[in-house]
Amino acid sequence: MGKEFEITYVFTLFIKLLSALGTTMFIVVASILLGVIVGFLIALPRLYNIPVLRPFSQVFVSFFRGTPVLIQLFLIYYGLPEVLKLLSLDVSRAPVLMFVIFTYALHSGAFISEAIRAAVTAVDRGQVEAAYAVGMNSYQAFSRIVLPQALAVSIPVLANIVIANLKDTSLAFSLGVIELTGKAQTLVTATQHFIETYIALAGIYLLISIGLEKAFNKMERRLLSHERSAVQKAEERASYSLLSSYKGFVTRLKLGKGGSGL
Amino acid sequence: MIKLTGITKSFGRNQVLKGIDLHVNKGEVVVILGPSGSGKTTLLRCINYLERPSDGQIVIGDSIVDCKRAGKQDILQLRRKSAMVFQQYNLFKHKTALENVMEGLVIVQKRPKEEARERSVQVLEKVGLGSKLDAYPSELSGGQQQRVGIARALALEPEVILFDEPTSALDPELVGEVLEVIRKIAKEGITMIVVTHEMGFARDVSNHVVFMDGGVIVEEGTPQEIFSSPKEERTKQFLKRITPEWSYTI
Ligand SMILES: Nc1ncnc2c1ncn2[C@@H]1O[C@H](COP(=O)(O)OP(=O)(O)OP(=O)(O)O)[C@@H](O)[C@H]1O
Ligand SMILES: [Mg+2]
Repeated sequence: MGKEFEITYVFTLFIKLLSALGTTMFIVVASILLGVIVGFLIALPRLYNIPVLRPFSQVFVSFFRGTPVLIQLFLIYYGLPEVLKLLSLDVSRAPVLMFVIFTYALHSGAFISEAIRAAVTAVDRGQVEAAYAVGMNSYQAFSRIVLPQALAVSIPVLANIVIANLKDTSLAFSLGVIELTGKAQTLVTATQHFIETYIALAGIYLLISIGLEKAFNKMERRLLSHERSAVQKAEERASYSLLSSYKGFVTRLKLGKGGSGL
Repeated sequence: MIKLTGITKSFGRNQVLKGIDLHVNKGEVVVILGPSGSGKTTLLRCINYLERPSDGQIVIGDSIVDCKRAGKQDILQLRRKSAMVFQQYNLFKHKTALENVMEGLVIVQKRPKEEARERSVQVLEKVGLGSKLDAYPSELSGGQQQRVGIARALALEPEVILFDEPTSALDPELVGEVLEVIRKIAKEGITMIVVTHEMGFARDVSNHVVFMDGGVIVEEGTPQEIFSSPKEERTKQFLKRITPEWSYTI
């Protein structure tokens, strides 16, 4: 099965895979942006205890957190058009990518709503009362006082959600979308270089993850600049991050190269 | 001028305020005394609607609010006439001292940024924090944080500033600096309602003392009247319990 391992193929395949990077990133960015909106809509009924919507939010979150994303993809791709047909809407010609983005938006939205809920409750009630006492209305109190602090608190969780979303996009190939993993499948079929392809693929995902992690750490430090201790923690986290462990791994690899003739 | 008429407040079945009438003239400093659980905090919070009173009428300046019929706009107008200094300071943690003070001026009163900044710097200097403008709450001592809290209230130029035990969360050595600031602004003729256990402060600074117990005003009068010749038995007992403490702590 497959051809003999050739390290140089990793690099050529890496370059070839990059042609699908745009699709992957498009899914991630679009579904996270939509997911933030979904997250807010789902979090609000639970934050403000809105009667009818509250149980709906709970069921939504339970479903999207509690079932595999692959099944969600299938359900939405095959099921949604049937449901919409009942409302005499025809989406059978809509691009697959739309269903994929929609699924990931709902999936991430469920997690984001939980992150928002936790973060908002973490901002102490006293500050909200102080905002009211200076005469702010509830929108001003939320957007000026609660939101910026909640955002800072939720950055590490959001980072996890975005990275999980990135990795989950690899399942979109099962619906025939040529994102990174889908592209890798075609390259495997064409070249028969299984291992090299998957090494290159893993490398790309890893690099994006590291980039995201760095970006989020930077954002967290900016947003938390008012809390010295928290900034320090974020900095420590940054210095022990994937990147440094990756750097360490590379140096070890180089050493290993010299020693064992790898 | 502030006028409270027949304010009641219940939490479930527990009636915490049982009909409070209070009149505060412009420039007056009113101190509210009373044992724990007597409803002092609840009364202050009702005045700016952090708690919704069950019944009664609140008048601050030209705002008249009937508690049974108060709408969102009434409440907002009422809140904009008062300011509050909290026991736990409640500063906006993501904003510097200066930003904390500016926030209400810019966002609520819609003053131009430059003017708001000037006014805020001036008020922060008044409370002795001219050198801490850019410090975040986490970089300030309790006493400094509370002085920012006072500056935040003062800058708004409200009809009345409500203080809820402004020094009781502070380390003893920091109480003095905060009381000093409150004393200073009291002298400037700012109308204040202060809940406090600092008897020395109450005696020196206030024009009017209110003693509350069990959700009612038991007795009120000048500091002279309340501290030297209280009429009600409950007031006498309360003062007896609390007096030995301050006579040797001062
Ligand atoms: N949010 C609330 N829900 C239910 N009961 C409350 C609430 N807030 C206050 N109470 C009750 O109201 C009563 C009066 O409380 P309040 O805080 O006004 O007393 P206080 O005079 O300020 O006491 P202290 O000197 O201890 O601060 C207490 O019995 C308290 O348990
Ligand atoms: Mg109290």
